[in-house]
This record gives sequence, structure tokens and C-alpha cells, in this order.
Amino acid sequence: MSEIHSAVGSYVVNALDPDELAEFEAHLAVCQTCTREVEEFRETAAQLSLLPGAATPPPALRGSILAAISEVRPLPPDASAKLARTDPSAPATIAASVAERPIDELALRRQQRRTRILSVLVAAVVAAALALGGVVYGLVQSRQAQVAQQAAETELLTAPDVRTYSATMKDGGEVSFVVSKSLNRAMFVGKDLPAVGSDRTYQLWTLEGKQAIPDNLVAGGGDRKEFFRETLSDVTALAVSIEDEGGAQQPNPATIQVVTDLSS
Amino acid sequence: MNVSSVPPNSAGRPSGEPASGRDVDPAHLVELMTLCSRGHEEAFAELYDRTSQRVYGVILRVLRSPDHAAEVMQEVYVEVWRQSARYSREKGSVVAWMTTMAHRRAVDRVRSVSSEVARDERYAFHGADREIDQVWDGVAQRLDVERVRKGMASLTPIQREALTLAYFGGYTQSQVAQLLKLPLGTVKTRIRDGLIGLRDALGVEA
Repeated sequence: MSEIHSAVGSYVVNALDPDELAEFEAHLAVCQTCTREVEEFRETAAQLSLLPGAATPPPALRGSILAAISEVRPLPPDASAKLARTDPSAPATIAASVAERPIDELALRRQQRRTRILSVLVAAVVAAALALGGVVYGLVQSRQAQVAQQAAETELLTAPDVRTYSATMKDGGEVSFVVSKSLNRAMFVGKDLPAVGSDRTYQLWTLEGKQAIPDNLVAGGGDRKEFFRETLSDVTALAVSIEDEGGAQQPNPATIQVVTDLSS
Repeated sequence: MNVSSVPPNSAGRPSGEPASGRDVDPAHLVELMTLCSRGHEEAFAELYDRTSQRVYGVILRVLRSPDHAAEVMQEVYVEVWRQSARYSREKGSVVAWMTTMAHRRAVDRVRSVSSEVARDERYAFHGADREIDQVWDGVAQRLDVERVRKGMASLTPIQREALTLAYFGGYTQSQVAQLLKLPLGTVKTRIRDGLIGLRDALGVEA
């Protein structure tokens, strides 16, 4: 056996000195035998992790870590690795395609932003679900958008379970929510939205029961479309409000323009 | 509930007490990772509960200091969350992926700390026996642990010592060679042979 092969054990237990580490990693990139052995040894070393016996981390650490991750956005999947992916556990293409788009993965700072909404607001839900798919589609087609955005829109609009919920806002603006539960995505579409002034903005919200989570902002005036940032997993309704520039963290019944219940 | 169908370690475990060993179903951990990649914090909390004891065990064992260990734990789990979409089954089991990351970061910390406080001096000449003893003292009499312990016992003393010093001691192979007063090439092959012996004893599949 050549000298370099024998370093595989030290590599897995992180015992290589820096110069040899670089050398071995270069070798590893071209050596299938070593690659396989690294995989096997990693599983073996993972078994070694049982040996120190029960070591319970400080209870406070759990809370600290959970608080920390709520402020961290998971990275999007590695695009190069995705092509080779043949993971039988991945539930078909839906999960993969959902995970591929960075915007999908987040529930960014959800905990911090999660705020309570008055139940009276929910009671005032307007659930108008008119199918205006054709109008929406034409609207989408007519707008120039980034390639990625376009692809995401096409994917949403062609999803087998896509639904369009249309409603009229208090200010008269006609809006639709294009929703696919399988993709876990929703898009806001506004046609001829009233102008709200340069210091004000439309704001999207997702509602989970009585909690409202602030979502993306949409400028007033003209045709607009905007994906919801939040994924739909636990979302029960979508809403739009008019807020001061920069948006709000707390929903205010007075500013809400429309609430659409997704369960209808 | 049919108790006999439940793995011994999961039956009656009080909630909140982390699981370890084989009662962590690998396929379930993969599911949790997938949910993490989509931002599900509850899934992450469960992943933490199911893996934190093992991960912390490795980190604390390498670092000795609970303060350093807590910091590295936090780094590792935030990184697990951040990288969750980059994990796939081809990269091995979730536990191996996490303990690999934890071990690497613990070792990195040891080496950066040791350059500051000359950890090497404190341990290099007196530490070898203690390293090995402490690992063996902490072993609980559990089935999984027993398998690993037997696997370790099946190795030659030099294989076992070299592997223990490298993995749990966080020493580089050159430092292990100094500690065991053996040529570097010998240490290198003993570490690898030790892993091969353990792999075969445990029937590990990648």
C-alpha cells in the first residue's frame, strides 16, 4: 500500500497535520478506495461517540441553541450535489423542488416576529375564492421578471393542485392569492392596485391560527405580484395590509385590507 | 403498548432525556434533517434531543472544559441547522455526519486553545494513560456501548491507544507518535488498522 492510502484513518479522526491534510484531500478526490474507506470509517468513528458514556449537555444550552437557530437561515441545497442525488427517502420531486429554492426553506426569525393577532380580525375573514386562473396567468406572462422568478412562477401556476383565491380589498384593489399546498408556496397578485403614496406600502401576512407573521412588502400602484416568503406548512390564512414604509411587525385591524382563509 | 416490541432504551424514557445508541432510528433522523432544511424548528428541537448526548459526549471528551464544550456544541448545532439541506444519505448516517462535524470542531478548538495555553505541555508527557483510563471509566453497561467496548478490546493495545489518543485526545498523529514513542508511519497504520478492526467488529456499513 502506498504511503498516502495509509493516512485515511488519521484523516477520519482529524489527526493529520496540516501539510499532510492538504495532500490527502487532493488524493481523496481521485481515489475511490479511500473515499469508500472514509465513509466506512466515519460510521465507525460515530460508534466511538458512544464510549464517553452519558454526558448530558447543560439544560440551558438547549434553549440557547434553539434561540440561535431561529435567527439563522438554512443554506439552500448544494446545486452540484443535487444532480447526483438518488435519495430514495426524498418524497418525490416535490420535496426536492421545494428545497431547491432558497426562499422556500425559511421560517426566518419566525419566533421573534410571531405576534398575536386579534381574534376579531380572524372573525372578519373574507373568503372569496373565485377562479381567475386565466387572468392571473396572463398577468404573470405580461410582466418581465427574472428568470428564476419566472421559473418559480411557472412551477406554481402549473402545479397540479394550484388554487386561486380572489378578493377585493377595502381600498378597492383586486387581488388574488395563487396557492399550491404541494409546493408549499403562495403568491400574491394584485391587478391595478391603488397607489398608496411613497411613504406607505402594502404588506403581506401569513396567519397561523391567531398568530400573524409579517411577510414581504408590495408597492402600491399598478400590477404587482410577489411570492410569500413564508412557506405554507401551518398557514391557515393569508392577509394584506397597508403599512408605513418599511412594514409593520404587528398586525393592526385598522390597516388590514383583506384576509383570505385557505381552508375554504 | 407492546413493550416487547420497543427497543429497551426507548421504553419509558422520560421526555426530554436525550436518546443515544441504536434506538435512534437512522431513517427518522434523515426525516428530521429534511424538515430542518425547510425551516422546521420543532424538527430541529427533536433532532437535538435525540442526538445531543452523543454529540456533547464527544465534544466534552475531547475538550475537557464544559465552557468550551458548550460553545462548540452551539457552533455545531447551528451549523447542522444551516447545512441541513446539504446533508444527503450518500454522505452517510445523520449521526456520523454530526459527530464528524462535532469532532472536527472540537479538535480545531483544542488546537487553537492549546496554542494559547500550551495544552500539549500539560498533557503530552503525563496525559496518555489518563486519556485512555477516562474513556474506559465512563463506559456505561449498555448494549451498544458494550459492542463498541468489545470492538475496542479486540484491537491490539497499540491500535487501541493510537486510536483513543487521536479520537478522544484530539492529538495529531505526530503528537500520538511522540506520546507512544513510535515512528509516525507506524502510528498512521495503527490508527487505520484500528478503525478497520473496529469497523469489522461492529459490522459497520457505510
